[in-house]
Amino acid sequence: METIGKSIIRKEALDKVTGTAKYTSDHLSLPMLHAKMVISPYAHANITHIDLSEAWKIPGVRAILAGEKFPLTGEEIRDRPPIAYDKVRYCGEVVAVIVADSPAIAKRASSLIKVNYEPLPVVNSPNQAYENNAPVVHENIDSYERIKNVYPEVNTNIANRTKIRKGDMELGWQRTEIVVEADFSFSPSDHAAMETRCVIAEIREDETVVITSSSQSPFMIKKLLHVYFHIDIGKIVVNVPLVGGAYGGKASVQLELIAYLASKAVHGRKVKILNSREEDLITSPVHIGLDATIKLGCSRDGVLQAAEILYLFDGGAYSDKAVDISRAGAVDCTGPYRINNIQCDALCMYTNHPYAAPFRGFGHSEVMFVFERTMDMLAKKLKMDPIELRLINAIKPGDTTPTQLAVNKSNVGNVSECILKLKKIMNWDEGSIKQVSNTKVRSKGICCTWKNSTIDPDASSGVTLTFNPDGSINIISGVVEIGTGTKSVLAQMLAEKLKMDVRQIYVQMEVNTKSTPDHWKTVSSRGSFMAGRALLNAADDIIRQLKDLTACILRCSKVDLEVGLGKVYLKDTPDIFLNIKDICYGYMYPNGNAIGGQIIGRGTYIQRRVTYLDPETGAGNPGPEWTVAAQGIELEFDLLDYTYNVIRAATVVDVGKVLNEKTALGQIIGGMSMGISFAGRETFQFDQAGRILNPQLRTYRPLRYGEHPKYEVEFVETPVIDGPYGARSAGEHGLIGMPAALANSLSAAAEVDLNQLPLIPELIWKTKEGAVDDSL
Amino acid sequence: MIPFNFEYYKPSSIHEAVQLFQRLDTEEKQPIYYSGGTEIISLARINILYTKAIIDIKSIPECNVLHLEKDQLVLGACLPLTEIEESNFYPLLTKTIQEIADRTARNKITIGGNICGQIFYREAILPFLISNSQVVIAGIHGIKTMPIQQVFHQHLHLKKGEFLVQMITEKADLHLPFISIKKRQQWDTGYPLITVTAAKKPSSSFIENSSNQSLTNYERIQIAFSGLNPFPYRSEEIERDLNQQHLSLEQKVDLATSHLPEPILDDFEGSAQYRKFVMKNTLQHVLSTLEVQ
Repeated sequence: METIGKSIIRKEALDKVTGTAKYTSDHLSLPMLHAKMVISPYAHANITHIDLSEAWKIPGVRAILAGEKFPLTGEEIRDRPPIAYDKVRYCGEVVAVIVADSPAIAKRASSLIKVNYEPLPVVNSPNQAYENNAPVVHENIDSYERIKNVYPEVNTNIANRTKIRKGDMELGWQRTEIVVEADFSFSPSDHAAMETRCVIAEIREDETVVITSSSQSPFMIKKLLHVYFHIDIGKIVVNVPLVGGAYGGKASVQLELIAYLASKAVHGRKVKILNSREEDLITSPVHIGLDATIKLGCSRDGVLQAAEILYLFDGGAYSDKAVDISRAGAVDCTGPYRINNIQCDALCMYTNHPYAAPFRGFGHSEVMFVFERTMDMLAKKLKMDPIELRLINAIKPGDTTPTQLAVNKSNVGNVSECILKLKKIMNWDEGSIKQVSNTKVRSKGICCTWKNSTIDPDASSGVTLTFNPDGSINIISGVVEIGTGTKSVLAQMLAEKLKMDVRQIYVQMEVNTKSTPDHWKTVSSRGSFMAGRALLNAADDIIRQLKDLTACILRCSKVDLEVGLGKVYLKDTPDIFLNIKDICYGYMYPNGNAIGGQIIGRGTYIQRRVTYLDPETGAGNPGPEWTVAAQGIELEFDLLDYTYNVIRAATVVDVGKVLNEKTALGQIIGGMSMGISFAGRETFQFDQAGRILNPQLRTYRPLRYGEHPKYEVEFVETPVIDGPYGARSAGEHGLIGMPAALANSLSAAAEVDLNQLPLIPELIWKTKEGAVDDSL
Repeated sequence: MIPFNFEYYKPSSIHEAVQLFQRLDTEEKQPIYYSGGTEIISLARINILYTKAIIDIKSIPECNVLHLEKDQLVLGACLPLTEIEESNFYPLLTKTIQEIADRTARNKITIGGNICGQIFYREAILPFLISNSQVVIAGIHGIKTMPIQQVFHQHLHLKKGEFLVQMITEKADLHLPFISIKKRQQWDTGYPLITVTAAKKPSSSFIENSSNQSLTNYERIQIAFSGLNPFPYRSEEIERDLNQQHLSLEQKVDLATSHLPEPILDDFEGSAQYRKFVMKNTLQHVLSTLEVQ
């Protein structure tokens, strides 16, 4: 019975297509109170006065939280008041929270809170933040508590600096014959998940704190509530039902803290807080922006010799996960190439923008946009085919990464094969640019990507397996079902391992931190890998117990037994067997004696030999494995008005092993559409004062139905030896190369370097007009 | 969610509606007429619009008329855009309104609501501006029918308590050669950078030659815009420029773009300079397309 690789329909499909699936906000109970936030219209200002008197006059208002100093929060540097105190540092920041009998009362009262602000000079970009005389967003960085391995720089806007120092730069530049230099920039944008974030909090009489949240990080909520508010960790219970899209944005812990404080203010009563779309876009953390400067050199034969890079990530007003994103950007600071001399500084900058959450790809689509665009600029200067340049430099077993780790076939996969397959899909040999009419050209652009996962070195996952009396099995895992179908893939793995029908395997979709084994966070495409490994260990645990018991009953040696098809049987004489259903709750002899007891499987996985990075050189083992890909875009460009349509988008990705074909395709294509949307249209527009001009879906517009190109996906399968069935991560990788591929394709079509995002026709016009002006 | 409470009325006649308005206004309830409601909800939930009373005019029979009479097309103000699209009596109107919002929203958005809305693009008005159209307006003193040019300047000039009942368009204008283009910041979703609708109408005028005067028949381009400025409009000056028979296409466009009314919008959808660039390209496209037709 082979289940792996098949397109098994996900376990929660029926609930979802019939509309009965329950998300956090679908939970309503009486008497539940409702919270509403008041947010700042200013990007940087002192709060001089808050007048609550009118708001208090509304009947049904139970509590107002404002102007109070709560413990500072933040995952790496504790720099963020959960509700602004004295000062606001971004447009959209929470200034006050009202708790009332109904959402309508809370909203009405919130509009009656009067806040007086005294505007302060605004830091409106990472470049500006980096300038010597820039206003400082946090005056006392040094006073903040922080974890190990974070290096904020006093009296600057630098929250952290990750240094990559590999090889000998002087030697690298000596060997360089062709060099290109370029600047890049793009503003923060957002995840814009369909389900806006929602949290319900209550504090019970015995001081148990119960949180229900639309979160990717139930176990992190538990840990952080303990760290920030000194609640006994055993008294914190977090429930997570199905989550309606997350993309990293729900990995950050923010609204949970506000909901907890709100519940505390009403003596522990149940309080629900549901983001409006506007709040979900700008108040909750966003997709990071970036300014970058790069200098890349190669010898005339196309061999990359040196790369010098400065990444200034727009961490926004608070560092939270942005520090880690900037670190991930340093780890894979180049494309997937063998480059012996690299100097990279990846800085997490404070600005007066909304602060950053992880975003699908975790710093990689951002960094690859910069590096892979530069690769095309280099290819052009070198007069070499961009595919050829990439093939020459593609990283291979034995080469080292920017963090000086020697890679092997298992952990790095096969970049060259991805490139060659892409070349074929894109019909590259027919040429990359073709005039199709007087005013239109068809243009192709490609790029390579890679991504390792830089989650905590000790991140772990656990799985429990229990039997039902009919021999079917329940999987209990801390992975949150965020729409990726991971839990159904776990069921497939178990079916394969136990040679069972996947319909005989049930999955607990909801997570409850009290009864569900810990899974670090459902992020970084780690679900199938980490929970998969834990699951296979748990399956081994079950198999061992089944064999132990059967060996006793059948009076044979354990090694002679095999488990499968609902039976434990003798390998050489399969007609001698016991049905699992007859032993999974203990075995009873004819006289009533019983042995064994119920069988519970237990399995865990912890990351192996991952290290912190050396603070001076960045050397270290950043994570378990890379997933590499080559991606391409073909588009039609109008030479007169600079509009364009993406005709098709292609991805060849080395996923190690396809576990569920349709699910894998869904993940890759979903990522590609999100990447095109981010690259082609999505951005927050800031005015000079740092205010966001488009905090609504009317004006902030992700890709819509009907705007999609044709998607083409092919898989390469180079197994990662320690992955479950050889599978690598795949959840983010469709997205990562889309900005670079789109920019490369468009730059070729428009014959001008397009190094900013989003790639709207106005940008092309501006760049072209600018180029004309320069030549005058 | 709309954070304030309001009274909701659904009158079934014009008379009842205007009476209600007057009463509610005296009671200082800041009444507003309500048709599809999409804009009222959008703006009320972010505290840009406030009222204590809403008068839903969707049950008024005159506001739901959709029929082609002998000489004219009558469209009730409360018809959803999709219903007008599907009937397709006026292809230029169909093409123009099809580009507004998305299908689901257009099932709710009504033609009257789009024309009278605060969101200033009001693209549904453009086809009426360039055809012989009249508007039917109801008020406390009764119903009046007026040429659109008299009552629409940037927006429909309604007196307090008046509401739009119908749009009437001459049948002869429904099937002229036309073009309608919406240019957005990017791809197919979003408000317009510019929406242009144009039609070519048979016309005649006296031309003075060196020797004599003669009546010449020609086709005159009528054109209206939205998105370039914070209001839709039809400009006589631009039309004169574009209809200069002796000029080349490029010259016409250059002349027209030198007469664009200020201020040109300069916002997050596009800068003023870029909008001018788009305008120029779009005008060229419009002229060359209409020439072929």
